[in-house]
Amino acid sequence: MAQKSPSGSQTALREANRALLFETVRKFGGLTQIELSEATGLSTATVSNLVRQFVDEDVFETRSTIRSGRRATLVTLRRQLGISIGMFIGKRELAICVMDFSRTILSSHSLPLALDHKVDSTIERAILLIEETINALGATTSEIVGICLAVEAPVNKATQQVAVSGILRGWENKELRAPFSSVFQVPVYVQNSAHMGGLAESRLGSARGIENFIYVHASDGVGAAAFVNGALLRGVTGLAGEIGHVQVDPLGPICSCGNRGCLNTTVNEARLVSLLNVTHGTMTLDDLITMANEGDPGCRRIVADVSVRIAEVTAQVCITLDPKIVVVGGKFAETGDLFIEPFQESLRRLLFPDALAPIDVLPAHFEKTSQITGACLFALEHSTLSMTPAPAKEQQ
Amino acid sequence: MTVNKRYPLMKMNNVSVTFGFLEALKHIDLSFYPGEILALVGDNGAGKSTVLKVLAGLYQPDEPCSVEHHGVPTQINGIHDSRELGIAAVFQDQEFCDNLDVTANLFLGHEMKDELHRIDIRRMEDEARRVLAQVSSPIGLRKPISTLSKGQSQMLAIARTLLDDPDMILLDEPTASLSVTQTAEVLTYIKKLRSAGKSIVFICNTLPDVFAIADRIVVLRHGRINGEHLTSETSYEQIIAEIAGVDSGEFGNESGFLSTKSRLNDQRKLIDRDDSPATESGPAEMHFSASDDAL
Repeated sequence: MAQKSPSGSQTALREANRALLFETVRKFGGLTQIELSEATGLSTATVSNLVRQFVDEDVFETRSTIRSGRRATLVTLRRQLGISIGMFIGKRELAICVMDFSRTILSSHSLPLALDHKVDSTIERAILLIEETINALGATTSEIVGICLAVEAPVNKATQQVAVSGILRGWENKELRAPFSSVFQVPVYVQNSAHMGGLAESRLGSARGIENFIYVHASDGVGAAAFVNGALLRGVTGLAGEIGHVQVDPLGPICSCGNRGCLNTTVNEARLVSLLNVTHGTMTLDDLITMANEGDPGCRRIVADVSVRIAEVTAQVCITLDPKIVVVGGKFAETGDLFIEPFQESLRRLLFPDALAPIDVLPAHFEKTSQITGACLFALEHSTLSMTPAPAKEQQ
Repeated sequence: MTVNKRYPLMKMNNVSVTFGFLEALKHIDLSFYPGEILALVGDNGAGKSTVLKVLAGLYQPDEPCSVEHHGVPTQINGIHDSRELGIAAVFQDQEFCDNLDVTANLFLGHEMKDELHRIDIRRMEDEARRVLAQVSSPIGLRKPISTLSKGQSQMLAIARTLLDDPDMILLDEPTASLSVTQTAEVLTYIKKLRSAGKSIVFICNTLPDVFAIADRIVVLRHGRINGEHLTSETSYEQIIAEIAGVDSGEFGNESGFLSTKSRLNDQRKLIDRDDSPATESGPAEMHFSASDDAL
């Protein structure tokens, strides 16, 4: 399509075609030049030229292969040294992200899961997903340097297992590393997903170069990661930052963790959409976010109220830790200022009115993908090939 | 049961389908709502595909006027009627023309024409590229159909439903022959269709997939509806029992799960306290789980 556009200079056209080609290779993995030309609509000559250019720039690499009995050139993204796998295991989602040592995201996929999905079937699918994604990239599983599972639940630092029962039901105290390490023969780490979100923001996102900040992940449930003097604060057990389980209403409903009136009983998909039942019918959190972005007043109201609720809890953390900024990610952050502004407002109201430096609230750079991106980074940083040595105590 | 408060897009009233002596569907009542994913599950020969084929106009019910569209009784006498009503279907054994390429198959029977009524291949290819990008499949547009894998042709069949922007999409075992990555794409895609307000009916025998995306699950058994549940109010165990015809009374709440809905009922409204309408609040049920001492 880019080829036919009547306006624009030759260079702009070339840039557009390059971008299209790059996106296509990234999305579909290894493709031959013929397939690339079909998928992009560019002529084979253009594809061939651009591919050669990309190869010179060390972005792509080409390899001879055979497709339908003919010789063909397979084009893949050039990979640096090795690749790391980040997996996100949430209440309703399994996601995978593959990254190489240049910290380029090579591929990512997401699979919806049932509520209360079973450990065995999800792990089975996760392993298949890793194998298929790696094969689609034209890589082999021997290139994997590490796998990090970002789990949407508190993780015990010592055992690397889900520590609190009831949050990811059925997953507590299960050994999650063994199935992966026996198949892929690489180190496997289990981490809290909000912590990984914070890691991604600290390394590549909005909090790059900032030593003290708080990352708040607000989706179906809230998690947080606190970075103090450049290091992730984990606490003794690894449960630091579980602000979703701060009590906000002593008479509130019982939370999945067994406590009463936790923040997560308020910021909870089922509950939030139930508030819209009468006016909007059945919806999901995604619908709520989309409609809020489209300007629906009821949904905007919910986003704003959720923002204030979370900000009230975050303010307490800010008083304790005195961070430079707060970064917010997760589905609610996709509403942009709808969520950020009330958040900023509440922080200002609740913290010292004439503080030396007010705490800024910034949207996450990786809105949806912070957690898997962070998981990839974690696996990279802890691999033996890594240039930045990992803290010894965190390796098992 | 807020879904029932809205108006159904399609409704089947007392639909029966008989083939000779075989009663494939026995007095089925079903409603289909916009923005909802309905899963049909059941054993082989339970009548799942028959329901879809009635909606798609491939089978006619014994009583001709037993289908309503937006509350208006209507007849679906053939695939053209079904198409007029905005229904698109993907069946298990996709029918493609092996001698044509991917684009030609996508537009088979309704090719795009330019002003001079010539087939506009360029526009068709652009459009085909657009829908194929949505299902994230690297299928060459000029490839002959015979060279595609089963998974690829399945993706192609799903892509074909998107061309007319239908209101209702029927999918018969959409994930049956797909890899995990492709399953991920298809399920994510079905969720996207739901968000766009389409009514989706899909048949699936992989219960994890059903529970992952369905809003409502209907269990068919020997041509009858053996259970109809909101996904949030049921469990694998109950659905399996109903598929197999086991009396499911014993799979109540004491088996350890507590449905989301019943947990919701006892939650006080914390946000929007003023706005929230006075809804019925159910009996306070509490769910305690072994907790903090796990550390």
